[in-house]
Amino acid sequence: MKIVVCIKQVPSSNEVRLDPVTNTILRDGRQSVTNPFDTYAIEQAVQIKEQHGGEVIALSMGIPATEKLLRDAESRGVDRAMLLSDRNFAGADTLATAYTLSLGIKQLGGFDLILCGKMAVDGDTAQIGPELAENLGIPHITDICEFISITPKDIVCKKITDKGYQVLRVKLPALLTVVKNINMPRLPSIPGVLFGLSAPLEIKNAVDINADSKLIGLSGSPTQVVKTYMPERQSKANSIEGDIASQAARISQLIKEFI
Amino acid sequence: MKNSLIRPMSNEFFEYLRDESRTIGNAESISFPKSEADVIDILRDIYPKGIPITIQGGRTGLAAGAVPNGGHIMNLSRMNSITAMRCDEKGDFFIALQPGVALSQLRKQIESRKFDTSQWSEESKEAFLEFCKAPEHFFSPDPTETSATIGGMVSCNASGARSYYYGPTRKHITALRIVLCDGQTLAIRRGELFADGRILNLSTEQGASIKVELPTYKMPKTKNASGYYIEDNMDAIDLFIGSDGTLGIITEIEVKLLPLPQVIWGVSCFFERERDAIEFVVAVRKQLKCVAVIEFFDGDALTILRCQKAQNKAFSQLPAVEERMNAAIYIEIHCEDEKTAVETIMKIGSIMKESGGCEENTWVARNDSDRNQLLFFRHAIPESVNMLIDQRKKLDPIITKLGTDMSVPDKHLRYIMNMYHSTLQEMGLQSAIWGHIGDNHLHVNILPRSKEDYNLGKKLYEQWAIEVTKLGGAVSAEHGTGKLKANFLTVMYGQNHIDEMASLKAAFDPKTLLGAGNMFILRKEGECK
Amino acid sequence: MPGLKINQEKCIGCGLCVKCCALNALRIENKTALVNDNCILCGICVDNCPSQALSIEKEDSEQTDLSKYSGIWVFAEQYKGEVLPVAYELLGKGRELAHQKGCELTALLFGKDVSAEAQKLIAYGADKVLLCEDDDLADNLDENYIELFNLLINKYNPEILLFGATGFGRSIAPRVAARVRTGLTADCTQLEIDHETGLLHQTRPAFGGNLMAIIVCPNHRPQMATVRPGIMSAQQFDNSRSGKVIPVSMPKPVAKNIELLEEVLSSEIDSIADAQIIVSAGRGIGAQKNLALVHQLAGLIGGKVGVSRPLVDIGWSEYKHQVGQTGSTVAPKLLIACGISGAIQHLAGISGAKTIIAINTDPDAPIFSIAHYKVVADCVEVLKQLISIFEKSEY
Repeated sequence: MKIVVCIKQVPSSNEVRLDPVTNTILRDGRQSVTNPFDTYAIEQAVQIKEQHGGEVIALSMGIPATEKLLRDAESRGVDRAMLLSDRNFAGADTLATAYTLSLGIKQLGGFDLILCGKMAVDGDTAQIGPELAENLGIPHITDICEFISITPKDIVCKKITDKGYQVLRVKLPALLTVVKNINMPRLPSIPGVLFGLSAPLEIKNAVDINADSKLIGLSGSPTQVVKTYMPERQSKANSIEGDIASQAARISQLIKEFI
Repeated sequence: MKNSLIRPMSNEFFEYLRDESRTIGNAESISFPKSEADVIDILRDIYPKGIPITIQGGRTGLAAGAVPNGGHIMNLSRMNSITAMRCDEKGDFFIALQPGVALSQLRKQIESRKFDTSQWSEESKEAFLEFCKAPEHFFSPDPTETSATIGGMVSCNASGARSYYYGPTRKHITALRIVLCDGQTLAIRRGELFADGRILNLSTEQGASIKVELPTYKMPKTKNASGYYIEDNMDAIDLFIGSDGTLGIITEIEVKLLPLPQVIWGVSCFFERERDAIEFVVAVRKQLKCVAVIEFFDGDALTILRCQKAQNKAFSQLPAVEERMNAAIYIEIHCEDEKTAVETIMKIGSIMKESGGCEENTWVARNDSDRNQLLFFRHAIPESVNMLIDQRKKLDPIITKLGTDMSVPDKHLRYIMNMYHSTLQEMGLQSAIWGHIGDNHLHVNILPRSKEDYNLGKKLYEQWAIEVTKLGGAVSAEHGTGKLKANFLTVMYGQNHIDEMASLKAAFDPKTLLGAGNMFILRKEGECK
Repeated sequence: MPGLKINQEKCIGCGLCVKCCALNALRIENKTALVNDNCILCGICVDNCPSQALSIEKEDSEQTDLSKYSGIWVFAEQYKGEVLPVAYELLGKGRELAHQKGCELTALLFGKDVSAEAQKLIAYGADKVLLCEDDDLADNLDENYIELFNLLINKYNPEILLFGATGFGRSIAPRVAARVRTGLTADCTQLEIDHETGLLHQTRPAFGGNLMAIIVCPNHRPQMATVRPGIMSAQQFDNSRSGKVIPVSMPKPVAKNIELLEEVLSSEIDSIADAQIIVSAGRGIGAQKNLALVHQLAGLIGGKVGVSRPLVDIGWSEYKHQVGQTGSTVAPKLLIACGISGAIQHLAGISGAKTIIAINTDPDAPIFSIAHYKVVADCVEVLKQLISIFEKSEY
């Protein structure tokens, strides 16, 4: 089975702070890390390969430094990697990113399964999976929490829904997104780390993947950010004073407004 | 005048009668001062009355130093402001803080560079601006429990895994403010006041002078947190660090920050045979430079962890260790570039092979999230043991964990490991051993299954204290002496030196009320000798 | 080439942009800012530049004719024949937007045997209902919906299309957006028509809620967004309203790549995430037996029970009740937090709550920093009192 795992580089922290002097917004992105949800997709792909044979390829669109994270995936059992990197990819929203990734996948010469993390922790959109599947014209299922059976033709898996869960059978090729804690991502061993440092990795730009310049990066992104701002923190809570009985009485009045 | 800061003990404050040593004391009153002025106010009120005073921080200590022995509890956890920042001409950064600041809080603020500077002086604010521009820094002492307060860490001279490389808390403390029992204050800055041989002359900010004769013992040349720190011509500040709340009350601490290494990698190495792991440690110590941490877990500890992982949901996300593994060594590499780190792990791999292990049996953590997983693993071991003991305690309340904290010089590592295992086996006791093997400092935890086991274990513990002393080691290497290890201090130094320590204490605390029961075995009614 | 442009005349070389960039994608040389190769055009520097020297420029794309697009559509997600509350909330918002734009509000009702719900959608504000009933729409399988959406969008050219950010909504909406090649903004918390441009201003949290971003979709239609349940308010149910129900037929055949083998409902799991009222407990509850009080009060006021992580860790409660970053993220109208001190991870999980009443003995507990009502008291005593009040009352 040939499995492609899509990963994203994200800042290690979502913390935002205001510069004490200038009041500008500063992001605390000390380290760049693999999107935590994607680490579960990597582990799942490697486990499927270990049980059913085949190959795992990690794919990312990102700045050149993303190579390091792809090599990290290779240290954990991924066989080879492809990085799509080009200044013209910058500013991509999910639609342009999904298009670009789909072109990268077409370069890989066929696949059986694409795995993605449920969402990225910096954007929280959870849109790349379904949009990528649409670009490739294959079925997708989001929020997979368990793989029940895998054959060369299809996969039976469990999807978490708002109401509980569904057991679904999907024909391959397909794209699946996995939730956190579907498995225990492994840590690389010393030989794993050393493999990652020299493992096969291709870097491709927009020309290499025959991208339509109108559909990539900023130009290919229908959405634009007009403004970002820090949400106002609620200033101060109303204090409910008094003895227990009067506090409870006041709380009960508040509750009654809601029931 | 009734002092409103002092509150009578009630059920609400039950928590404050105990600490992580899981012993429970008793007290009549409690206070939560918020400032040095409050501390002075309280002391002036109760010290003259002859009431024993136990000082508390985060109550995370393992030697019962914060467990009250009657009298008053002064809990400093609400003195938790960070008050100033300083940058010296070398570009080093220093943070002044109140003793109740929790380690986790300090770390988080340093990491995110978020400080409430509204009450700071202009100089501090300027230093903070410099700090924001500077490369990242950290405070290196790292006791496993991060809810420990800095005051508590100073009082017991806490260490942690990284002390192998960076040294204990002591090394990172540059100034202290101390309130003495009569309400006078000392302001001591490292490098400004030294003893003359074994005579130390101090003067309070109010102008009184105190002449102290320092005890005459020689401290062991190992990692040590047993009794007062004493050396010829010592820096005055070192007397108060590790003094277990017996000399005065620390109200302000200045800590020194270190530049954060560019690369921090963790490597867990697993071995099928414990002796291979020991040989590995000996070789790593000799051959590798940028190693900041060397920790050990024996097969029993790994087994307990496997059980808890299976039973307890909170631990289900722990990485699984293969059944055949009987020992683990955790190494942390701190260096300035990845090339050095890669070279170091390659070297670790080859030393593993030479020691009888296999480099495949490793987990390498190269980012924070992976390293946190390894730290979670490390933290889960003592927690698992505590849970196991809590279950057993239900059978017989006398059962508690007996955990040692002893260190020996390098050359005795193989011997001491053999001794622990063979004596435990002889007595048929269950145990789990882990700890800071880089400093030959292991926590041997005896896990009694019955009252008989417990009594046997206590005996064995004393026997080890005698043996460790003979080898030139320390009976408490990092937890402090507190109340639980006071008797071992007598084993280590002998009664004469204990008497010297008592007269040192008397120079600061003539009524022997501060930290009553810490370091000195309590005779009767708060009197020590 | 599109990208980050720096107006050298305006740039004063202050370096603020360098400082605020999380990726080190800017540098200062000869007192002006320069862009590095690794810029991802996130735009933070543009917002922070004090001299407006930075801008993100886009190549002029061919103008699509936007005039043919009109009308606001709301996808009325249903489950087993019953429309979800979020659809009514979206209609409430949609009504406002339609009023501002002076256009029609249309609800999309797709399913098996769902026609009875059409009138309700009208009563909640829809002018029209596009109704498609088909056996293949019974199970909310994405692939069966895509062609239907594609067909209708191309036929009717809506200007705005809104989905609930439910599990299904978040799966189908991006698929539809990619099919019709338009923009989609996920998980919006606020929607407004910009007076100047007439564009839909879509506000959403980013970076775990630490930043808010306003997003527009200027040149593509429809402007699509998913909206978190519980955020917008439904308008008053008005059965006297009238509207048109337009039946549409299902495009066939459907692909059938995905087959539903089994569906298991666990009412407990969804209840916290969707609950309108939550009574939650933390370590301050004292003893495991006191959790019974929390359940009792929740039962009396029609709420669900949540707990903080420590209670799950020590085995007093189960994971399905856990609220916070590692448990469920909740957005109830009312949250009563009992004895929860408020670890940062927990606060992140409850930040969507409309009203938080926090009860804790420690006046300095972090939970009070985000609470709307602060009650310094023993939560066990307060719970007992509340229980007796609600036992006596009508409810």
